Amino acid sequence: MRDPIQPTEPTGPMQTDARAASLPVLSVGDLTALVKNTLRSQPRLREVWVEGEVGQVSISAAGHCYFTLKDERAQLKCVIFRDDRMVMPFEARTGLRLLAQGSIDVFDAQGVYQLYVRSIQPSGFGDLALQFEALKAKLAAEGLFDPARKRKLPPMPHNIGVVTSLSGAVLHDIRRVLARRWPMARVVVSACQVQGQGAAATIVAALRRVGRWTDEESGCATDVVILARGGGSLEDLWPFNDESVVRAVAAHPCPVVVAVGHETDVTLAEFAADVRAATPSVAAELVVPARVDELARVNQLGVRLNGALNQTLVSLRQQLATETRALEARHPQAQITADRERVGVLLDRAARVVARRLEVERSNLSRAADSLPALVAGGIAIARGDMRRESAALNALSPFATLERGYSIVRGPDGAVLTDARKAKQGDQLSVRLQRGEIGARVETVRDSGS
Amino acid sequence: MNTDAEQQRIAALPFDKALAEFKATVEKLEAGNLPLEESIALFEQGVLLQRRCEKMLSEAELRFQRLVEQAGGKVRALDLSMGEAEEPG
Repeated sequence: MRDPIQPTEPTGPMQTDARAASLPVLSVGDLTALVKNTLRSQPRLREVWVEGEVGQVSISAAGHCYFTLKDERAQLKCVIFRDDRMVMPFEARTGLRLLAQGSIDVFDAQGVYQLYVRSIQPSGFGDLALQFEALKAKLAAEGLFDPARKRKLPPMPHNIGVVTSLSGAVLHDIRRVLARRWPMARVVVSACQVQGQGAAATIVAALRRVGRWTDEESGCATDVVILARGGGSLEDLWPFNDESVVRAVAAHPCPVVVAVGHETDVTLAEFAADVRAATPSVAAELVVPARVDELARVNQLGVRLNGALNQTLVSLRQQLATETRALEARHPQAQITADRERVGVLLDRAARVVARRLEVERSNLSRAADSLPALVAGGIAIARGDMRRESAALNALSPFATLERGYSIVRGPDGAVLTDARKAKQGDQLSVRLQRGEIGARVETVRDSGS
Repeated sequence: MNTDAEQQRIAALPFDKALAEFKATVEKLEAGNLPLEESIALFEQGVLLQRRCEKMLSEAELRFQRLVEQAGGKVRALDLSMGEAEEPG
Protein backbone atom coordinates (compact mmCIF):
# COMPACT_ATOMS: atom_id res chain seq x y z
CA MET A 1 0.00 0.00 0.00
CA ARG A 2 1.25 3.48 -0.86
CA ASP A 3 2.10 5.87 1.91
CA PRO A 4 -1.21 7.64 2.33
CA ILE A 5 0.32 10.70 3.99
CA GLN A 6 1.12 13.26 1.37
CA PRO A 7 1.59 16.84 2.51
CA THR A 8 -0.70 19.02 0.47
CA GLU A 9 -2.05 22.53 0.71
CA PRO A 10 -5.10 22.63 2.91
CA THR A 11 -8.04 23.38 0.66
CA GLY A 12 -11.07 22.42 2.74
CA PRO A 13 -12.36 21.52 6.16
CA MET A 14 -12.24 17.74 5.56
CA GLN A 15 -8.54 17.72 5.05
CA THR A 16 -8.06 19.96 7.99
CA ASP A 17 -10.05 17.52 10.17
CA ALA A 18 -8.19 14.49 8.89
CA ARG A 19 -4.88 16.06 9.51
CA ALA A 20 -5.99 17.23 12.90
CA ALA A 21 -6.87 13.66 13.86
CA SER A 22 -3.61 12.58 12.22
CA LEU A 23 -5.48 9.88 10.27
CA PRO A 24 -4.29 8.85 6.82
CA VAL A 25 -6.48 9.86 3.84
CA LEU A 26 -7.39 6.83 1.76
CA SER A 27 -8.32 6.64 -1.88
CA VAL A 28 -11.61 4.81 -2.65
CA GLY A 29 -9.63 1.98 -4.15
CA ASP A 30 -7.45 1.65 -1.06
CA LEU A 31 -10.40 1.64 1.28
CA THR A 32 -12.24 -0.92 -0.79
CA ALA A 33 -9.12 -3.09 -0.83
CA LEU A 34 -8.92 -2.80 2.94
CA VAL A 35 -12.54 -3.96 3.36
CA LYS A 36 -11.98 -6.74 0.89
CA ASN A 37 -8.92 -8.03 2.72
CA THR A 38 -10.69 -7.79 6.05
CA LEU A 39 -13.59 -9.90 4.76
CA ARG A 40 -11.29 -12.35 3.07
CA SER A 41 -9.37 -12.90 6.24
CA GLN A 42 -12.51 -14.25 7.95
CA PRO A 43 -12.57 -18.04 7.58
CA ARG A 44 -16.25 -17.96 8.61
CA LEU A 45 -17.11 -16.06 5.37
CA ARG A 46 -15.16 -18.25 2.99
CA GLU A 47 -17.68 -21.08 3.12
CA VAL A 48 -21.23 -20.09 4.04
CA TRP A 49 -24.67 -21.61 3.76
CA VAL A 50 -27.44 -19.05 3.80
CA GLU A 51 -31.19 -19.44 3.56
CA GLY A 52 -33.62 -16.81 2.35
CA GLU A 53 -36.21 -15.79 -0.18
CA VAL A 54 -35.19 -14.73 -3.66
CA GLY A 55 -36.02 -11.10 -4.46
CA GLN A 56 -35.09 -9.36 -7.71
CA VAL A 57 -33.38 -11.58 -10.30
CA SER A 58 -31.55 -10.45 -13.42
CA ILE A 59 -29.51 -12.35 -15.93
CA SER A 60 -26.69 -10.45 -17.62
CA ALA A 61 -25.90 -10.62 -21.31
CA ALA A 62 -22.93 -12.80 -20.44
CA GLY A 63 -25.25 -15.25 -18.70
CA HIS A 64 -24.43 -14.50 -15.08
CA CYS A 65 -27.34 -14.42 -12.66
CA TYR A 66 -27.64 -11.56 -10.14
CA PHE A 67 -30.24 -11.71 -7.39
CA THR A 68 -30.95 -10.75 -3.83
CA LEU A 69 -31.67 -13.10 -0.97
CA LYS A 70 -33.74 -11.58 1.80
CA ASP A 71 -35.48 -12.21 5.05
CA GLU A 72 -37.42 -9.91 7.38
CA ARG A 73 -34.32 -8.01 8.51
CA ALA A 74 -31.82 -7.84 5.66
CA GLN A 75 -30.92 -8.30 2.02
CA LEU A 76 -27.88 -9.98 0.53
CA LYS A 77 -26.61 -9.49 -3.00
CA CYS A 78 -25.77 -12.76 -4.73
CA VAL A 79 -24.22 -13.75 -8.02
CA ILE A 80 -24.09 -17.06 -9.85
CA PHE A 81 -21.57 -17.17 -12.67
CA ARG A 82 -22.67 -18.54 -16.01
CA ASP A 83 -20.69 -21.79 -15.86
CA ASP A 84 -22.03 -22.66 -12.40
CA ARG A 85 -25.53 -21.60 -13.41
CA MET A 86 -25.57 -23.93 -16.41
CA VAL A 87 -25.06 -27.02 -14.27
CA MET A 88 -27.54 -26.10 -11.55
CA PRO A 89 -30.72 -28.17 -11.42
CA PHE A 90 -32.99 -25.11 -11.29
CA GLU A 91 -32.94 -21.33 -11.60
CA ALA A 92 -33.26 -18.78 -8.85
CA ARG A 93 -36.69 -17.23 -9.28
CA THR A 94 -38.36 -14.39 -7.41
CA GLY A 95 -40.34 -15.68 -4.46
CA LEU A 96 -38.52 -18.98 -4.24
CA ARG A 97 -37.07 -19.93 -0.86
CA LEU A 98 -33.67 -21.41 -1.26
CA LEU A 99 -30.49 -22.45 0.43
CA ALA A 100 -27.34 -21.03 -1.20
CA GLN A 101 -23.76 -22.09 -0.66
CA GLY A 102 -20.72 -19.96 -1.54
CA SER A 103 -18.26 -17.34 -0.26
CA ILE A 104 -18.51 -13.66 0.62
CA ASP A 105 -16.34 -11.23 -1.31
CA VAL A 106 -16.25 -7.62 -2.42
CA PHE A 107 -16.93 -6.49 -5.98
CA ASP A 108 -14.56 -3.52 -6.12
CA ALA A 109 -15.97 -1.84 -9.21
CA GLN A 110 -19.41 -1.41 -7.61
CA GLY A 111 -18.32 -1.20 -3.99
CA VAL A 112 -20.58 -3.98 -2.86
CA TYR A 113 -20.03 -7.13 -0.98
CA GLN A 114 -21.90 -10.16 -2.26
CA LEU A 115 -22.30 -13.89 -2.03
CA TYR A 116 -20.56 -15.76 -4.85
CA VAL A 117 -22.92 -18.72 -5.10
CA ARG A 118 -21.59 -22.14 -6.00
CA SER A 119 -24.70 -24.23 -5.44
CA ILE A 120 -28.38 -23.81 -4.60
CA GLN A 121 -31.12 -26.09 -3.28
CA PRO A 122 -34.79 -25.42 -2.81
CA SER A 123 -35.39 -24.73 0.83
CA GLY A 124 -36.85 -27.74 2.57
CA PHE A 125 -35.56 -29.90 -0.29
CA GLY A 126 -34.22 -32.40 2.18
CA ASP A 127 -37.77 -33.09 3.36
CA LEU A 128 -39.07 -33.44 -0.21
CA ALA A 129 -36.31 -35.85 -1.14
CA LEU A 130 -37.16 -37.97 1.89
CA GLN A 131 -40.87 -37.92 1.03
CA PHE A 132 -40.04 -38.90 -2.54
CA GLU A 133 -37.96 -41.89 -1.50
CA ALA A 134 -40.54 -43.04 1.05
CA LEU A 135 -43.41 -42.85 -1.47
CA LYS A 136 -41.32 -44.55 -4.13
CA ALA A 137 -40.53 -47.44 -1.79
CA LYS A 138 -44.18 -47.77 -0.74
CA LEU A 139 -45.55 -47.80 -4.31
CA ALA A 140 -42.80 -50.12 -5.51
CA ALA A 141 -43.74 -52.54 -2.72
CA GLU A 142 -47.33 -52.47 -4.02
CA GLY A 143 -45.99 -53.45 -7.44
CA LEU A 144 -47.01 -50.23 -9.21
CA PHE A 145 -43.68 -49.99 -11.03
CA ASP A 146 -43.47 -53.70 -11.84
CA PRO A 147 -42.29 -54.23 -15.44
CA ALA A 148 -44.72 -57.16 -15.72
CA ARG A 149 -47.74 -54.87 -15.38
CA LYS A 150 -46.63 -52.54 -18.15
CA ARG A 151 -48.96 -52.73 -21.13
CA LYS A 152 -47.91 -52.79 -24.78
CA LEU A 153 -48.86 -49.82 -26.92
CA PRO A 154 -51.48 -50.54 -29.61
CA PRO A 155 -49.83 -50.75 -33.06
CA MET A 156 -52.35 -48.48 -34.79
CA PRO A 157 -54.45 -46.40 -32.40
CA HIS A 158 -57.71 -44.84 -33.63
CA ASN A 159 -58.26 -42.57 -30.66
CA ILE A 160 -55.40 -40.93 -28.80
CA GLY A 161 -55.89 -39.06 -25.52
CA VAL A 162 -53.55 -36.20 -24.63
CA VAL A 163 -53.44 -34.89 -21.06
CA THR A 164 -51.52 -31.62 -20.80
CA SER A 165 -51.82 -27.88 -20.46
CA LEU A 166 -53.53 -25.95 -23.26
CA SER A 167 -50.85 -23.28 -23.03
CA GLY A 168 -47.28 -23.75 -24.12
CA ALA A 169 -45.53 -25.63 -26.88
CA VAL A 170 -46.30 -29.19 -25.74
CA LEU A 171 -49.69 -29.48 -27.44
CA HIS A 172 -48.34 -27.99 -30.68
CA ASP A 173 -45.40 -30.39 -30.72
CA ILE A 174 -47.67 -33.40 -30.23
CA ARG A 175 -50.13 -32.21 -32.86
CA ARG A 176 -47.39 -31.58 -35.41
CA VAL A 177 -45.89 -35.07 -35.00
CA LEU A 178 -49.24 -36.88 -35.12
CA ALA A 179 -50.44 -34.92 -38.17
CA ARG A 180 -47.27 -35.84 -40.03
CA ARG A 181 -46.99 -39.48 -39.00
CA TRP A 182 -50.54 -40.74 -38.51
CA PRO A 183 -53.30 -38.35 -39.59
CA MET A 184 -55.89 -41.14 -39.48
CA ALA A 185 -56.01 -40.83 -35.71
CA ARG A 186 -58.52 -38.83 -33.72
CA VAL A 187 -56.92 -36.86 -30.89
CA VAL A 188 -58.85 -35.76 -27.81
CA VAL A 189 -57.14 -33.33 -25.46
CA SER A 190 -58.02 -33.35 -21.78
CA ALA A 191 -56.69 -30.12 -20.33
CA CYS A 192 -54.99 -29.86 -16.96
CA GLN A 193 -52.61 -27.65 -15.06
CA VAL A 194 -49.11 -29.17 -15.14
CA GLN A 195 -47.47 -27.09 -12.43
CA GLY A 196 -48.23 -25.06 -9.35
CA GLN A 197 -50.66 -25.41 -6.51
CA GLY A 198 -53.47 -27.86 -7.22
CA ALA A 199 -51.88 -29.20 -10.43
CA ALA A 200 -51.94 -32.82 -9.20
CA ALA A 201 -55.71 -32.74 -8.68
CA THR A 202 -56.28 -31.35 -12.20
CA ILE A 203 -54.05 -34.05 -13.72
CA VAL A 204 -56.02 -36.79 -11.95
CA ALA A 205 -59.32 -35.20 -13.08
CA ALA A 206 -58.06 -34.89 -16.68
CA LEU A 207 -57.01 -38.57 -16.74
CA ARG A 208 -60.45 -39.58 -15.42
CA ARG A 209 -62.17 -37.41 -18.02
CA VAL A 210 -60.28 -38.96 -20.91
CA GLY A 211 -60.96 -42.40 -19.39
CA ARG A 212 -64.71 -41.75 -19.40
CA TRP A 213 -64.86 -40.54 -23.01
CA THR A 214 -65.97 -42.78 -25.85
CA ASP A 215 -66.19 -42.13 -29.58
CA GLU A 216 -69.78 -41.13 -30.47
CA GLU A 217 -69.80 -43.26 -33.66
CA SER A 218 -67.84 -46.39 -32.75
CA GLY A 219 -68.35 -46.36 -28.98
CA CYS A 220 -64.60 -46.99 -28.61
CA ALA A 221 -62.55 -45.39 -25.84
CA THR A 222 -59.03 -44.04 -26.37
CA ASP A 223 -56.46 -46.69 -27.30
CA VAL A 224 -53.58 -44.85 -25.65
CA VAL A 225 -53.01 -41.71 -23.58
CA ILE A 226 -50.06 -39.30 -23.54
CA LEU A 227 -49.49 -37.41 -20.28
CA ALA A 228 -46.97 -34.66 -21.00
CA ARG A 229 -45.35 -31.45 -19.90
CA GLY A 230 -42.32 -29.68 -21.30
CA GLY A 231 -39.33 -29.56 -18.99
CA GLY A 232 -39.15 -27.16 -16.06
CA SER A 233 -37.38 -27.00 -12.77
CA LEU A 234 -37.34 -29.81 -10.25
CA GLU A 235 -40.02 -28.19 -8.13
CA ASP A 236 -42.20 -27.62 -11.22
CA LEU A 237 -42.21 -31.37 -11.77
CA TRP A 238 -43.46 -32.08 -8.29
CA PRO A 239 -47.09 -32.80 -9.27
CA PHE A 240 -45.74 -35.80 -11.21
CA ASN A 241 -44.50 -37.23 -7.92
CA ASP A 242 -47.88 -36.85 -6.27
CA GLU A 243 -49.30 -40.14 -5.02
CA SER A 244 -52.74 -39.53 -6.55
CA VAL A 245 -51.21 -38.82 -9.99
CA VAL A 246 -48.98 -41.90 -9.84
CA ARG A 247 -51.95 -44.10 -8.90
CA ALA A 248 -54.15 -42.57 -11.62
CA VAL A 249 -51.49 -43.34 -14.25
CA ALA A 250 -51.09 -46.94 -13.07
CA ALA A 251 -54.86 -47.54 -12.88
CA HIS A 252 -55.76 -45.93 -16.22
CA PRO A 253 -57.89 -48.22 -18.44
CA CYS A 254 -55.55 -47.93 -21.45
CA PRO A 255 -51.74 -47.69 -21.77
CA VAL A 256 -50.23 -44.35 -20.70
CA VAL A 257 -47.07 -42.75 -22.08
CA VAL A 258 -45.58 -40.17 -19.72
CA ALA A 259 -43.27 -37.46 -21.03
CA VAL A 260 -42.05 -34.98 -18.48
CA GLY A 261 -39.07 -33.65 -20.40
CA HIS A 262 -36.56 -33.50 -17.58
CA GLU A 263 -33.23 -35.16 -18.24
CA THR A 264 -31.85 -35.79 -14.79
CA ASP A 265 -34.83 -36.50 -12.56
CA VAL A 266 -37.30 -39.31 -13.15
CA THR A 267 -40.68 -38.67 -11.56
CA LEU A 268 -42.81 -41.38 -9.96
CA ALA A 269 -45.47 -40.92 -12.65
CA GLU A 270 -42.85 -41.99 -15.19
CA PHE A 271 -42.01 -45.08 -13.14
CA ALA A 272 -45.71 -46.00 -13.17
CA ALA A 273 -46.15 -45.26 -16.90
CA ASP A 274 -46.45 -48.09 -19.41
CA VAL A 275 -43.86 -46.25 -21.49
CA ARG A 276 -41.64 -43.31 -20.57
CA ALA A 277 -40.68 -40.82 -23.29
CA ALA A 278 -37.93 -38.20 -23.14
CA THR A 279 -40.05 -35.40 -24.60
CA PRO A 280 -43.67 -34.84 -25.69
CA SER A 281 -42.63 -35.11 -29.37
CA VAL A 282 -40.97 -38.45 -28.73
CA ALA A 283 -44.12 -39.63 -26.94
CA ALA A 284 -46.17 -38.74 -30.03
CA GLU A 285 -43.74 -40.66 -32.26
CA LEU A 286 -43.95 -43.71 -30.01
CA VAL A 287 -47.74 -44.05 -30.04
CA VAL A 288 -48.26 -44.18 -33.83
CA PRO A 289 -46.62 -45.91 -36.80
CA ALA A 290 -45.14 -43.84 -39.64
CA ARG A 291 -47.47 -43.44 -42.60
CA VAL A 292 -44.59 -43.71 -45.09
CA ASP A 293 -43.77 -47.20 -43.74
CA GLU A 294 -47.39 -48.31 -44.02
CA LEU A 295 -47.66 -46.97 -47.58
CA ALA A 296 -44.62 -49.04 -48.51
CA ARG A 297 -46.24 -52.09 -46.89
CA VAL A 298 -49.50 -51.58 -48.80
CA ASN A 299 -47.57 -51.28 -52.05
CA GLN A 300 -45.66 -54.45 -51.28
CA LEU A 301 -48.92 -56.32 -50.73
CA GLY A 302 -50.17 -54.91 -54.04
CA VAL A 303 -47.18 -56.45 -55.81
CA ARG A 304 -47.92 -59.79 -54.16
CA LEU A 305 -51.61 -59.57 -55.13
CA ASN A 306 -50.68 -59.13 -58.79
CA GLY A 307 -48.13 -61.93 -58.61
CA ALA A 308 -50.67 -64.30 -57.02
CA LEU A 309 -53.27 -63.74 -59.75
CA ASN A 310 -50.63 -64.21 -62.42
CA GLN A 311 -49.60 -67.50 -60.82
CA THR A 312 -53.24 -68.65 -60.71
CA LEU A 313 -53.71 -67.89 -64.40
CA VAL A 314 -50.52 -69.66 -65.40
CA SER A 315 -51.46 -72.86 -63.58
CA LEU A 316 -55.01 -72.77 -64.93
CA ARG A 317 -53.66 -72.47 -68.46
CA GLN A 318 -51.50 -75.54 -67.95
CA GLN A 319 -54.50 -77.43 -66.55
CA LEU A 320 -56.60 -76.36 -69.50
CA ALA A 321 -54.01 -77.50 -72.00
CA THR A 322 -53.87 -80.93 -70.35
CA GLU A 323 -57.65 -81.32 -70.29
CA THR A 324 -58.00 -80.17 -73.86
CA ARG A 325 -55.62 -82.83 -75.06
CA ALA A 326 -57.57 -85.48 -73.13
CA LEU A 327 -60.89 -84.29 -74.52
CA GLU A 328 -59.66 -83.99 -78.08
CA ALA A 329 -58.57 -87.61 -77.88
CA ARG A 330 -62.18 -88.56 -77.04
CA HIS A 331 -63.59 -86.16 -79.64
CA PRO A 332 -66.68 -84.75 -78.01
CA GLN A 333 -66.36 -81.52 -79.95
CA ALA A 334 -69.40 -79.78 -78.45
CA GLN A 335 -68.16 -80.33 -74.90
CA ILE A 336 -64.74 -78.90 -75.67
CA THR A 337 -66.25 -75.83 -77.23
CA ALA A 338 -68.50 -75.30 -74.23
CA ASP A 339 -65.57 -75.60 -71.82
CA ARG A 340 -63.55 -73.31 -73.98
CA GLU A 341 -66.28 -70.76 -74.01
CA ARG A 342 -66.71 -70.86 -70.24
CA VAL A 343 -63.00 -70.49 -69.61
CA GLY A 344 -62.77 -67.86 -72.29
CA VAL A 345 -65.46 -65.74 -70.68
CA LEU A 346 -63.70 -65.92 -67.32
CA LEU A 347 -60.34 -65.12 -68.80
CA ASP A 348 -61.89 -62.29 -70.75
CA ARG A 349 -63.19 -60.94 -67.45
CA ALA A 350 -59.78 -61.36 -65.81
CA ALA A 351 -58.17 -59.46 -68.67
CA ARG A 352 -60.67 -56.65 -68.26
CA VAL A 353 -60.12 -56.54 -64.50
CA VAL A 354 -56.39 -56.32 -64.89
CA ALA A 355 -56.62 -53.74 -67.67
CA ARG A 356 -58.93 -51.61 -65.54
CA ARG A 357 -56.59 -51.99 -62.59
CA LEU A 358 -53.62 -51.02 -64.68
CA GLU A 359 -55.44 -47.89 -65.71
CA VAL A 360 -56.38 -46.91 -62.15
CA GLU A 361 -53.05 -47.92 -60.69
CA ARG A 362 -51.11 -45.96 -63.24
CA SER A 363 -52.80 -42.70 -62.28
CA ASN A 364 -52.80 -43.59 -58.58
CA LEU A 365 -49.18 -44.56 -58.58
CA SER A 366 -47.90 -41.61 -60.50
CA ARG A 367 -49.74 -39.39 -58.03
CA ALA A 368 -48.37 -41.29 -55.06
CA ALA A 369 -44.86 -41.44 -56.50
CA ASP A 370 -44.65 -37.65 -56.52
CA SER A 371 -45.05 -37.45 -52.79
CA LEU A 372 -43.10 -40.53 -51.81
CA PRO A 373 -39.49 -41.10 -50.94
CA ALA A 374 -37.34 -42.85 -53.50
CA LEU A 375 -37.48 -46.15 -51.63
CA VAL A 376 -41.23 -46.52 -52.03
CA ALA A 377 -41.18 -45.16 -55.54
CA GLY A 378 -38.77 -47.98 -56.40
CA GLY A 379 -41.31 -50.50 -55.13
CA ILE A 380 -43.95 -48.95 -57.33
CA ALA A 381 -41.75 -49.25 -60.40
CA ILE A 382 -41.43 -52.97 -59.66
CA ALA A 383 -45.19 -53.23 -59.27
CA ARG A 384 -45.66 -51.59 -62.67
CA GLY A 385 -43.27 -54.04 -64.31
CA ASP A 386 -45.15 -56.97 -62.74
CA MET A 387 -48.45 -55.73 -64.05
CA ARG A 388 -47.10 -55.41 -67.57
CA ARG A 389 -45.96 -59.03 -67.48
CA GLU A 390 -49.35 -60.11 -66.19
CA SER A 391 -51.25 -58.43 -68.96
CA ALA A 392 -49.01 -60.16 -71.48
CA ALA A 393 -49.83 -63.49 -69.84
CA LEU A 394 -53.52 -62.69 -69.98
CA ASN A 395 -53.44 -61.83 -73.66
CA ALA A 396 -52.13 -65.29 -74.38
CA LEU A 397 -55.16 -66.68 -72.55
CA SER A 398 -57.89 -64.51 -74.02
CA PRO A 399 -60.78 -66.18 -75.85
CA PHE A 400 -59.61 -64.70 -79.15
CA ALA A 401 -56.49 -66.75 -78.98
CA THR A 402 -58.78 -69.77 -78.62
CA LEU A 403 -60.80 -68.86 -81.71
CA GLU A 404 -57.58 -68.50 -83.66
CA ARG A 405 -57.05 -72.19 -83.20
CA GLY A 406 -60.30 -73.00 -85.01
CA TYR A 407 -62.87 -73.09 -82.21
CA SER A 408 -66.06 -71.05 -82.47
CA ILE A 409 -68.63 -69.69 -80.06
CA VAL A 410 -72.24 -70.65 -80.77
CA ARG A 411 -75.12 -68.55 -79.47
CA GLY A 412 -78.77 -69.46 -79.46
CA PRO A 413 -81.76 -67.30 -80.62
CA ASP A 414 -81.72 -65.54 -77.21
CA GLY A 415 -78.08 -64.62 -77.61
CA ALA A 416 -76.94 -66.94 -74.79
CA VAL A 417 -73.95 -69.13 -75.40
CA LEU A 418 -75.06 -72.62 -76.35
CA THR A 419 -73.31 -75.28 -74.34
CA ASP A 420 -75.79 -78.14 -74.53
CA ALA A 421 -77.19 -79.60 -77.76
CA ARG A 422 -80.41 -80.52 -75.95
CA LYS A 423 -81.16 -76.81 -75.56
CA ALA A 424 -81.35 -76.34 -79.32
CA LYS A 425 -84.50 -77.14 -81.31
CA GLN A 426 -84.71 -77.95 -84.96
CA GLY A 427 -85.12 -74.72 -86.93
CA ASP A 428 -83.51 -72.46 -84.28
CA GLN A 429 -81.50 -69.53 -85.63
CA LEU A 430 -77.95 -69.66 -84.30
CA SER A 431 -75.05 -67.26 -84.56
CA VAL A 432 -71.57 -68.71 -84.82
CA ARG A 433 -68.64 -66.51 -83.90
CA LEU A 434 -65.36 -67.36 -85.60
CA GLN A 435 -61.97 -65.82 -85.21
CA ARG A 436 -62.94 -63.47 -87.97
CA GLY A 437 -66.63 -62.59 -88.40
CA GLU A 438 -69.90 -64.33 -87.64
CA ILE A 439 -72.14 -66.84 -89.43
CA GLY A 440 -75.94 -67.10 -89.15
CA ALA A 441 -77.03 -70.79 -89.12
CA ARG A 442 -80.17 -72.89 -88.62
CA VAL A 443 -80.44 -76.11 -86.60
CA GLU A 444 -81.04 -79.14 -88.80
CA THR A 445 -80.74 -81.99 -86.34
CA VAL A 446 -80.16 -82.29 -82.63
CA ARG A 447 -78.12 -85.19 -81.27
CA ASP A 448 -77.59 -85.73 -77.59
CA SER A 449 -74.01 -86.92 -77.35
CA GLY A 450 -74.95 -88.72 -74.16
CA SER A 451 -71.60 -88.01 -72.53
CA MET B 1 -69.07 -60.98 -54.94
CA ASN B 2 -68.12 -57.35 -55.45
CA THR B 3 -71.57 -55.96 -55.08
CA ASP B 4 -72.24 -52.32 -54.28
CA ALA B 5 -72.79 -53.28 -50.66
CA GLU B 6 -69.34 -54.88 -50.55
CA GLN B 7 -67.77 -51.80 -52.12
CA GLN B 8 -69.47 -49.59 -49.58
CA ARG B 9 -68.37 -51.82 -46.74
CA ILE B 10 -64.73 -51.60 -47.86
CA ALA B 11 -64.93 -47.84 -48.39
CA ALA B 12 -65.92 -47.44 -44.75
CA LEU B 13 -63.28 -49.74 -43.22
CA PRO B 14 -60.82 -48.22 -40.77
CA PHE B 15 -57.20 -48.47 -41.90
CA ASP B 16 -56.08 -51.34 -39.68
CA LYS B 17 -59.07 -53.51 -40.65
CA ALA B 18 -58.62 -52.75 -44.36
CA LEU B 19 -54.92 -53.59 -44.15
CA ALA B 20 -55.55 -56.85 -42.26
CA GLU B 21 -58.22 -57.88 -44.77
CA PHE B 22 -55.97 -56.93 -47.68
CA LYS B 23 -53.18 -59.09 -46.25
CA ALA B 24 -55.55 -62.04 -45.72
CA THR B 25 -56.85 -61.69 -49.29
CA VAL B 26 -53.35 -61.70 -50.76
CA GLU B 27 -52.39 -64.74 -48.69
CA LYS B 28 -55.51 -66.64 -49.72
CA LEU B 29 -54.87 -65.91 -53.38
CA GLU B 30 -51.21 -66.88 -52.98
CA ALA B 31 -52.20 -70.21 -51.42
CA GLY B 32 -53.85 -71.01 -54.76
CA ASN B 33 -56.06 -74.08 -55.44
CA LEU B 34 -59.06 -71.86 -56.07
CA PRO B 35 -61.42 -71.89 -59.03
CA LEU B 36 -60.70 -69.09 -61.50
CA GLU B 37 -63.99 -67.35 -60.71
CA GLU B 38 -63.10 -67.16 -57.02
CA SER B 39 -59.52 -66.10 -57.74
CA ILE B 40 -60.73 -63.18 -59.78
CA ALA B 41 -63.27 -62.16 -57.16
CA LEU B 42 -60.48 -62.21 -54.54
CA PHE B 43 -58.27 -60.19 -56.83
CA GLU B 44 -60.97 -57.57 -57.33
CA GLN B 45 -61.55 -57.45 -53.59
CA GLY B 46 -57.80 -57.00 -53.04
CA VAL B 47 -57.72 -54.09 -55.46
CA LEU B 48 -60.57 -52.38 -53.60
CA LEU B 49 -58.83 -52.92 -50.26
CA GLN B 50 -55.51 -51.62 -51.56
CA ARG B 51 -57.19 -48.49 -52.87
CA ARG B 52 -58.95 -47.97 -49.54
CA CYS B 53 -55.62 -48.20 -47.69
CA GLU B 54 -53.80 -45.87 -50.08
CA LYS B 55 -56.59 -43.34 -50.05
CA MET B 56 -56.59 -43.14 -46.28
CA LEU B 57 -52.81 -42.89 -46.04
CA SER B 58 -52.67 -40.05 -48.52
CA GLU B 59 -55.83 -38.11 -47.73
CA ALA B 60 -56.54 -38.43 -44.01
CA GLU B 61 -56.52 -35.32 -41.86
CA LEU B 62 -55.89 -35.39 -38.13
CA ARG B 63 -58.94 -34.70 -35.97
CA PHE B 64 -57.84 -32.66 -32.98
CA GLN B 65 -60.40 -31.98 -30.29
CA ARG B 66 -60.80 -30.92 -26.70
CA LEU B 67 -62.78 -32.84 -24.08
CA VAL B 68 -65.32 -30.95 -22.02
CA GLU B 69 -67.52 -32.20 -19.23
CA GLN B 70 -71.17 -31.35 -19.56
CA ALA B 71 -73.84 -31.04 -16.93
CA GLY B 72 -74.67 -34.58 -15.89
CA GLY B 73 -71.04 -35.62 -16.22
CA LYS B 74 -71.09 -36.64 -19.86
CA VAL B 75 -67.77 -36.04 -21.63
CA ARG B 76 -67.89 -34.59 -25.14
CA ALA B 77 -65.23 -33.78 -27.71
CA LEU B 78 -65.37 -30.30 -29.23
CA ASP B 79 -63.16 -28.94 -31.97
CA LEU B 80 -60.10 -27.20 -30.61
CA SER B 81 -58.84 -24.17 -32.46
CA MET B 82 -55.13 -23.75 -32.03
CA GLY B 83 -55.78 -20.08 -31.21
CA GLU B 84 -57.48 -21.26 -28.06
CA ALA B 85 -54.54 -23.44 -27.16
CA GLU B 86 -52.02 -20.70 -27.79
CA GLU B 87 -53.44 -18.44 -25.16
CA PRO B 88 -51.49 -18.60 -21.95
CA GLY B 89 -53.30 -19.82 -18.89
